[in-house]
Amino acid sequence: MSKSRLIKTGLVLAAFAVVPAVLVGFDKGYYYQIATLAAIFMLLAASLHLVTGVAGLLQLGHAAFYGVGAYVAAILGADHGVGFTVGLPLAGLSAAAIAFLVALPTMRLMSIYFAVATLAIGQMLYLVFLNWVDLTNGPNGVMLFSGINLFGIEIESDLGIYYVVAAVVAVSILVLNRLSHSYYGNALRSLREDDQCASAMGINVTVMKIQAFVISSFFAGIAGALWAYTTGYISPNDFHFSQSILILTMVVVGGLGSLPGVLIGALLLILLPEALRSVGDIRNIIVGLVMFGSILFLPKGLFGEVSALNFARRLLGANWSNDEGQKGIGWK
Amino acid sequence: MLDPYILQQLAIGLSLGMIYALMAIGFTLIFGVLNVVNFAHGEIYTIGAFAGLMVISVFGPPLLVVLFIALATGALAGFGLERLAFRPFRRFSDEASLKSRAMREATLMSSLAMSIIAREAMEMIFGSQFQSVDLAYLINKPIGIGPITIVNGDLIIFGITVVMLGGLQWLLKKSPVGLSIRAVSNNALGAKYCGINTDRTIIITFVIGSAMGALAGILVGLYYGAIFPSMGFTPGIKAFVAMVMGGLSSIPGAVISAIILGLSESLSTSFMSSVWSDMVAYAFLLLTLIFFPQGLFGARRERV
Repeated sequence: MSKSRLIKTGLVLAAFAVVPAVLVGFDKGYYYQIATLAAIFMLLAASLHLVTGVAGLLQLGHAAFYGVGAYVAAILGADHGVGFTVGLPLAGLSAAAIAFLVALPTMRLMSIYFAVATLAIGQMLYLVFLNWVDLTNGPNGVMLFSGINLFGIEIESDLGIYYVVAAVVAVSILVLNRLSHSYYGNALRSLREDDQCASAMGINVTVMKIQAFVISSFFAGIAGALWAYTTGYISPNDFHFSQSILILTMVVVGGLGSLPGVLIGALLLILLPEALRSVGDIRNIIVGLVMFGSILFLPKGLFGEVSALNFARRLLGANWSNDEGQKGIGWK
Repeated sequence: MLDPYILQQLAIGLSLGMIYALMAIGFTLIFGVLNVVNFAHGEIYTIGAFAGLMVISVFGPPLLVVLFIALATGALAGFGLERLAFRPFRRFSDEASLKSRAMREATLMSSLAMSIIAREAMEMIFGSQFQSVDLAYLINKPIGIGPITIVNGDLIIFGITVVMLGGLQWLLKKSPVGLSIRAVSNNALGAKYCGINTDRTIIITFVIGSAMGALAGILVGLYYGAIFPSMGFTPGIKAFVAMVMGGLSSIPGAVISAIILGLSESLSTSFMSSVWSDMVAYAFLLLTLIFFPQGLFGARRERV
């Protein structure tokens, strides 16, 4: 077995055998919650990675699109009896649709101006969650009792829910991996480095940016739906600006533009506060200090972009062939 | 003659706008000099409010002393913030790294980290609920002027803001310190070659901006009687909006935009529910970005 296949198998085993085994071993609802939470935030961080890390668009309203997905899934489920199999894609698509509408006027803005625009959009969506009481039930949030029903099979056990979440997250991350480690990802990286130059090379800058933004919001919507289905209760505070910042921190701590790094960053920032639960009130301060320390001492992130790209090319065998016969890199 | 209700809302909007202006100046000064956004500015505002509160509950000095102590604490906090969150990332001073995205993102995140640490620390020490403020210090005693009623806080806020703005304009236009601040914000490298101590200038900018933010914090705390660790978030965002609307590095622009924001927010409550009034600020921001991308008062930029 080649090294690349070994690593892939190891990752799949870790997600679908080792973690569940540990969870069953401890058998506490609390650990299942943390595991699903970590999986959901890994997906959120990976989706933000595509737009902020790879395409270089600083997005400060990611939690709002996560919220759109959660609210669509919860309201459809609670009021209209739409189940998991239809609600999940619908949640992603509605987040993507809103992102598309937002992207049309704002995508020509540059750097900090775009960041500010996304901040405003995020806050506007948050105000809608908070104040459109007829639709979203305002600050009281939405209760969703239906749970996960997969093609007629009701999944109720904690382990089953973990498997569903892990499967959805794994497939989504696989898609994001193919997108960011391919010619498509390279084109997005060229926008980040110099969009005028990329445009001169024949890349349609605006269309590419809109695509990255919409795809990223689609997966944020999926993550939101997973959150709504697993917790059964959502409230506007789950999608506050501070959550956008938390996701952005995961991306920066993990490494801008590095998918494996971003996943490690998400795990670290979800598990660290839980592991520090025993120290009580100062755990959030410690999280702040970890964030500060990692920016100061590891400016490229835990797993920098260059080494992450090498890792992805050689070991995950992403979408490059091994350049045999000097024909240049190409599709497999 | 205008409807008294509208006049009343105008008065409220004006003092709200003045507060946003005090906050926005700090943002704008720092953005002008370093070209980075200081995310911890909202926490400086909270620190100012808490410093004032502690002085009130321990010593109970006259109001003017409380305000001065808030100013001084803000200045100190600004100094510390610059040292911890901004200085370590200015390792290289060539033009490329001064303007680089990496440095901008690093300081963005480090100021964010500082703001998380400061907010959580205050929450741990004081608890997340509202603090009770000595009633004698609240600046909300009503004063009747013709058909409308304003509170003395409106006058105090108006007076202090005008004095601070005037002082700042004098400082920036007439004093050597202001000259060096303007030089660094115009071209940091050029200023350095002319013998200006850029590090010192940046610290002074932080001190001035943060002192104003802290003053805004204690004024609002006494005006509404509400002081709590996460109070700085919303005004921070509003000030940010005002800065962008004003064109990112124009101080008069930021002040005018802040006042426009305050006025439109308070006027909007006459035809829609007050919970939606924040929406006005964000709608303004988006419209400004889409139709006037360089801000209402900003200098023309090549690409935005």
